[in-house]
Amino acid sequence: MSQAQKKVVPIVEGLFTWPSDHPRLIGSRCPVCGSVQFPKSSVCNNPECDHSRPPEEILLSDEGTLYSFDVHMYDLREPFDYHKAPYAIGAVELPEGLIVIGRLTRTDGLKIGMRVRMKVDKLYEDGENIYLTYFFEPVDGGERR
Amino acid sequence: MTESAVVSAAISDWVEAGKPAPTVEVVASVALEAMRRVGLRPADLDAVISTTSAMPFGHPTFLTTPAQHMGHRLAGKMGSNGLQVFNVSGACASAAAAFSIADSMIKSGKAKKVLVVGYDNSPRGFYFSFNSYLDTDMTIGYPLKVVGAVNPSYWAMWARRRAYEMGKPVEDIKELMAIIKEELSKNGALNPHARYKRVFTVKEVMESPIVDDPLHLYMISAVSSGAGAVLLADMDTARRLTDKPVKVAASAVGGPLHNEPSPRLTYFATAGGRRAGKPFYEWRKPIEDAYRQAGMGAEDLDFAEVHDTSAFHVINWIDQIMGWEREETDRLIRGREFGRGGKFPINASGGTTSFGEAVYAQALMEVYEIFTQLRGEAGERQIRKEIKVGMATAYGAYGSYGAIILERAW
Repeated sequence: MSQAQKKVVPIVEGLFTWPSDHPRLIGSRCPVCGSVQFPKSSVCNNPECDHSRPPEEILLSDEGTLYSFDVHMYDLREPFDYHKAPYAIGAVELPEGLIVIGRLTRTDGLKIGMRVRMKVDKLYEDGENIYLTYFFEPVDGGERR
Repeated sequence: MTESAVVSAAISDWVEAGKPAPTVEVVASVALEAMRRVGLRPADLDAVISTTSAMPFGHPTFLTTPAQHMGHRLAGKMGSNGLQVFNVSGACASAAAAFSIADSMIKSGKAKKVLVVGYDNSPRGFYFSFNSYLDTDMTIGYPLKVVGAVNPSYWAMWARRRAYEMGKPVEDIKELMAIIKEELSKNGALNPHARYKRVFTVKEVMESPIVDDPLHLYMISAVSSGAGAVLLADMDTARRLTDKPVKVAASAVGGPLHNEPSPRLTYFATAGGRRAGKPFYEWRKPIEDAYRQAGMGAEDLDFAEVHDTSAFHVINWIDQIMGWEREETDRLIRGREFGRGGKFPINASGGTTSFGEAVYAQALMEVYEIFTQLRGEAGERQIRKEIKVGMATAYGAYGSYGAIILERAW
């Protein structure tokens, strides 16, 4: 099968908007207490909430601050061996009040506190599909605004 | 309220997964050994509380019935007068939860003699490598599939964040973790039940491959196979069975906190910004609950057995048990005051790092060690000071925790 015939699909449905020119992470906000979650959930996770109405889907901010990160140095076993080492994982603080983990686009020049922006890119491909996931990419210079 | 006590405990050797084979006979042999030491028979028990995942080798369907019903199978195997059976799950903190249920049953008067067993046969590598584990709430499995985040990835992020918050370079916490590994491995070298009975020097640790920067290979615990059994009884019965009962001063269990900011194992997101609580309060809360139950504080503890799936866990446990400034923890570690001759011995057993983690049995290994140390029966690895009170802590995926305080009662 040629490259052109392969389908381009998200690695997991429902985590980010796709297809989209400007993909965003899909979360949820509770209309009762305002708690935000990622991935989106049909149940609010605030124990103080009266849970009288279910959370509503929202799109999360595409920029945040790097809370911490890890540089992973070895390949994973099947079936997740498409994550090829070395790769970096970041915990990113978003303005909505969430810390979300995601792959970072690079392993060098990383600093806690730097600004990062969400993007969707190829994670890997097999014989049939090209699989996409969300990444966080350091914003030019990467320093805190 | 009735007081409860540990009257006996036994553990198997911790070995590479699959050796011995995962059988209920292994659990039965350890359970019967614990009972024999105080002259009890299965007929004398009121309840069995069991915890195991009995991880199979790449065959998730095996996870369900046999493992979930290990307690019943054990009761059937060794003979039972229709005793109460519970099978408990709480990831790596499972055995602490099982222990706490036993403690509560005795304190409430609902049972007088309760056997807690934990067993695991953990395969090499990472657990969540099965697509079939993926569930609709997108916790376990999904962060691995989408982000490539394994357990040590989370621990590495915690370690790096702690160094950052203290204004220190990441090399600083790396050095602390290497010191921890060296010191705990000295204890493990003296423990006949440990899987790794040799000393790992700071130099060796720093030269081992980096797995998840800043964690090197020897800063991360392996997974093992092992079984533990602990017998609890009400204090009156305990005093008849042994002249050295160990009082259960507290047994607390913790779960996930909605406002915990530290990235939680197996989750995509935790609370940030204004919603975020104090980092690692999820770990601290069961410890505070245990202090409240016991009417004690950190100053009353003489030593601890902590769940060290990585060397970072030791640092964090000291932070959380002590509730002091993080610099104090670093000083304790650099001064090697957590060794068997130090001010606050940690993991005189050698810890998870010397045993490898037999996941669902791990907290029983810790209880066994505290029981043995308090009774002065630890031989070569006996803590070199007078000890009266010890704490065991457990930590696991999904936000599962336990904190137990044991006290000499003679």
